[in-house]
Amino acid sequence: MSEPEPPATPVPDPETPSAETPPSRAAHWAALVGSAEWADVFRTSKVRVPRERWVEAHRALQPHLPFFAWLSVIDWSNEVAVGDPLEGDPVEERCEVISRLSDVSAGEAVILSTDLPPDDLTIDSLAGVYTAADWHEREAADMFGITFVGHPNPVRIYLSEGFVGHPLRKSYPLLSREVKPWPGAVEVTPLPAAEGAPGEGKEGGA
Amino acid sequence: MSLLDNVWVVLAVKLGLAVVILFALALVVMFAELKVSAHMQHRIGPYFAGGRWGWAQVFAEALKFLQKEDLIPRDADAPVFRLAPMVSLLGTFAVIVIIPLSPVLVAGDLDVGIFYALAAGSVSTIALLMAGWSSGNKYSLIGGLRAGAQLIAYELPLVLAVVGVVIQAGTMSMVGITEAQAQPLFHIGSVGISLPYALQGQVIGFVIFMIAALAELVRIPFDMPIAESELVMGYLTEYSGIRFTMFLLGEYAGMLAMSAIASVLFLGGYHFWGLNADWFGPFVLIGKALILVFVMIWFRWTWPRLREDQLQSLAWRWLVPLALANIAVTATLKVVL
Amino acid sequence: MTTPADRHLLAMHRSEAAVSVELQTEDMVLNIGPQHPSTHGVLRLVATVAGERVRSVQPVMGYMHRGYEKLAEVRTYAQITALVNRIDWVSGFANEIPFIVAAERLMGVEAPERAQHIRLILTEMFRISNHLIFLCSFPAELGAPTPLMYALRERERVLDLIEGVTGGRFHPNFNRIGGVKPAAGGGSTQRTRVQDLPKGFIEGTRRAMTAVRHVCDDLENLVLGNEIVQQRTIGIGVLPADKAVEYAMSGPNLRASGVPFDLRKVEDYLPYDRFDFDVVTMPNGDNYDRCRVRLEEIRQSARIIEQAVDSLPGGPLQTKVPRVIKVPKGECYVRAENPKGEMGYHIVSGGGRRPYRVKIRSASFCNLQVLPWLLEGALIPDVIAILGSLDFVLGDVDR
Repeated sequence: MSEPEPPATPVPDPETPSAETPPSRAAHWAALVGSAEWADVFRTSKVRVPRERWVEAHRALQPHLPFFAWLSVIDWSNEVAVGDPLEGDPVEERCEVISRLSDVSAGEAVILSTDLPPDDLTIDSLAGVYTAADWHEREAADMFGITFVGHPNPVRIYLSEGFVGHPLRKSYPLLSREVKPWPGAVEVTPLPAAEGAPGEGKEGGA
Repeated sequence: MSLLDNVWVVLAVKLGLAVVILFALALVVMFAELKVSAHMQHRIGPYFAGGRWGWAQVFAEALKFLQKEDLIPRDADAPVFRLAPMVSLLGTFAVIVIIPLSPVLVAGDLDVGIFYALAAGSVSTIALLMAGWSSGNKYSLIGGLRAGAQLIAYELPLVLAVVGVVIQAGTMSMVGITEAQAQPLFHIGSVGISLPYALQGQVIGFVIFMIAALAELVRIPFDMPIAESELVMGYLTEYSGIRFTMFLLGEYAGMLAMSAIASVLFLGGYHFWGLNADWFGPFVLIGKALILVFVMIWFRWTWPRLREDQLQSLAWRWLVPLALANIAVTATLKVVL
Repeated sequence: MTTPADRHLLAMHRSEAAVSVELQTEDMVLNIGPQHPSTHGVLRLVATVAGERVRSVQPVMGYMHRGYEKLAEVRTYAQITALVNRIDWVSGFANEIPFIVAAERLMGVEAPERAQHIRLILTEMFRISNHLIFLCSFPAELGAPTPLMYALRERERVLDLIEGVTGGRFHPNFNRIGGVKPAAGGGSTQRTRVQDLPKGFIEGTRRAMTAVRHVCDDLENLVLGNEIVQQRTIGIGVLPADKAVEYAMSGPNLRASGVPFDLRKVEDYLPYDRFDFDVVTMPNGDNYDRCRVRLEEIRQSARIIEQAVDSLPGGPLQTKVPRVIKVPKGECYVRAENPKGEMGYHIVSGGGRRPYRVKIRSASFCNLQVLPWLLEGALIPDVIAILGSLDFVLGDVDR
C-alpha cells in the first residue's frame, strides 16, 4: 500500500536496506497519520501530508510524540539570488513546511512535511495542538512570509518593525554580496616549493 | 581669654577633626573591602596602583570620580536629586558626634548619647527615598521604595537591641556606657575582671544589632534596594561622579560608625584590660570597630541577598520579638540582681 | 488662544478636579532589558508589574539576530563549521558536532574511532565549561559574587586543555568533515606534520578532572548548602514535567523536572554507549533542582572524560575525503545533547559546495517559550533568578 517515494530527494538511501533491516519507522508513522508518502533516508524519517490535513496529522501523532522539536520551511526554487542553485533537474517551485515531532523516552521521531504553492502561502496554525509551535511559526512567518491561520500572537519575532521583505526566501538577495563580490580565493593554487604533497587526502574541504 | 575657651570654636574644631578622621578611616575601609574581598576570592585585588600593594587605588578612584561629568537625567527632579546625597552624608556625620575615642576625646558627650545617634542616623532613610523617587527611573523607584520599607522595618530591632544595653548600663551617654562596662564584675585575687556587655548577657542584643546595622547600611545580604543584578544599582542607578562618591563614602563611613557604636555598646569601647584608656583608647576602639567592619565585609562577599519579603519577615517575625524578649530578660535581671 | 478669563476658569477646574480625583493605581510597564546585567545578553522582557509582582511578561528578541540560516546558504561546509561555534558561544565545540555529523551522513563517510573519541572528550569538556559558567552566573544573580571566582578558576584548567588540543579556547573550529583537524604547526616550507594530541594531555586531563570534582564539592557546599540560596531557589519557578514537555524544554531544564531523557543515551552521533554515566534527573523542577542537575552533570562529564582518556584508541584523525567537499543531494537531521539542550541541524543539500538550506534548532530559543507561563505571578527578584536558572544565551536564541 505504501511505496517508498522520497519527497524531493531522488538519491536512494546509502544504507541500502537489507532483509535484516527492521520495518521502517516512517511507515509506522505514515500509517498512523493516514498518509501514503513516506521515506527513511539518511536515518531521517519523513512523512508527507496534504495541506488540508496538516493539523489533523499532528493531532493524530500528538499522544505518541508529545515533543514539538521545530517547524521550518524550505523554499524550493530553481533560481536563487544567493548561494548555489539545486543541481540536477528543475524542481517544482513551492514552499515546503516541515515540522519535527519526537518523544521523550525512546528517541522516536518523525518529520512531517507539506507543500504550499508559491502563490498561496497560508496554512493552519498548530498552536491549538502543540503549544511549543508558537514561536517557530512566528519565525517562519517572519522569515518566509507564510501566514498561519489561527495563530494566537502573530507578531514579528526577529526582525524589526519596519523591515520589508522576507529574508530566508531564495529570491531575497544579500546586499553586501551584490556590492562587493566574495574576495576569498576559490581555487587553491599549489605551493611553489612543496614537493612532497603535504598531507595528501588528509586535508578536506576548501 | 584665648581662642580655645570659646565654646563654639572648640566645637567647630572637634567636629572638623571628627569628620576628617571619619573620612580617612572610610578610605581605609574602602581599601580593606577591595583587598579583603580579593583574597577571599583567590585574587590579589589592587596591585599596581601604589607599589605592588595597591594602597593608592583608593585615591585613584576618588580622583576618577571627581573628574566625571555631572549628569542629571532630563526627567529627574533636579533639586531633590542634588540634595539626596548630602542628606545621606548628614545622617552619617551626625552619628560620629557621640563616638568616644577615649574618656575625653569625644566631640560631644551628650547625656542622651545613643538616643541622639539613633534618631539622627535615621535621617538617611529619607535620603534614600529622595534618591529613588527623584531619579525619574522605574528601577530607581523600585529600589527607593524597597529601601524605605527595609529601613523602617529594621530601625525597630536596632533600637530595641540598644535598649537592653541602656537598661544594663543605667545611662544613655556613650562614655557612661563604656565606664559601666569597665567596672569589674568579679575579682580574682586583687585583679578585677570586667566583661563587655556582649559577654555579660547581651549577646542576643549584639547579634540583633549587627544584623539590623547591616540592613540599615543596605549591605548584602540586605541590599535589595540596590540589588545590582536586578535593579542595576536601584536608587543609585542615575548617580555618577561626585554624587555617587558621596553615597559611597557615606556607606563606608556608616559601616565604620555602626561598628564603632557596636564596639562601644557591646564590646567595651575604648577600654581594654591593662591598657591606659587615655593613651591607648582611640587605638582600642578603632581596632574593635575594624574587626566588626571585617566581619561585615566577610558577610557581604559570602552570602547572596535575601528577597524583600524574606527580609521583612526576618525583621518583623524574628528580630523584633527576640529583641523584646531580650529587653524583658535584661530588665528582670537588672532588678533582681 | 486662551484669554485670561479662560485661563482662570481652567485653573479653577483643575484645582477642583485635583481635589475630587480618586487615588488610582495602575500596573507599571517595566522593560527588563535589553541592556540589563542579568538577561544573559540582549533579551528584552516587557513586564507588567503591580508593585513587585509580575502580572505578565512578553519576551522580545531579535536584537542579536545574525542571520545564520541565510549565511549558511552562502558559505561552504568548512566555513559554516567555523561560524557555527558562535551560536551558543559558551559551548563552542558542541555546536559543530551535529552539523558535521549531518554532513558526514549525507556524504556517507564516518569519522575514525580516534576522531570520535576526541570529539567526545572535547564535547564533554565544553559541557563542564558551560556548567561552570552557569554556576558562576547563577549565584551572582542571586547576589553572591564569590562562587564566580571559584568556578572560573577551575574552568581555566579545562580551557587550557582545550587550547592545547585545538588552539582555541572558546571557538575551536576543530571539526572537519570526516574527523577532526589533523594538521597543526609547520610553516609553508616544511612538510606539514600530522599533529595529534599534545604531549601530556592525558595526564593533564586526569589532574584537571580531579580539580573539577573538588570544585564541584566546594560549590555544592558554598552555593547549594547556603540557607539563603535555598530560601531563594527552592519552590521558585516550578516547572512540572508535563508542562516541560508541552513547551518543548530540553536538556538540564527537562531533566530537572523529572523527565529522564538524555540524547546522549538515545542518539548515536558520538560513541557514548561505550561509557558508563548516569542521566541526572531531579524531581521538583524548581530553580534549586536545575542548579543541582547541572552540578551533578559536571561530575558525570568528568567521569566520561576519565573513561575516554583511559581507552583512547589509536588510528587516523580523519578519513579520506576529497579536497573540495561537495555533499550529494539529500536531507538529513541530526540532533545532539548540547549543554543547554537539544541542538540539531537539518541540512538540505542541493548537491553543491554550499548547502541549499540549513535549519538550526537551537536549545535556548525553544527553552524560552515557557517564559510567559513561568514568570506569571512571580516577584521581580524571582524573575531574575528564574531567568538565570534556565541557562540560555542570546546567541542561541537569536541565531
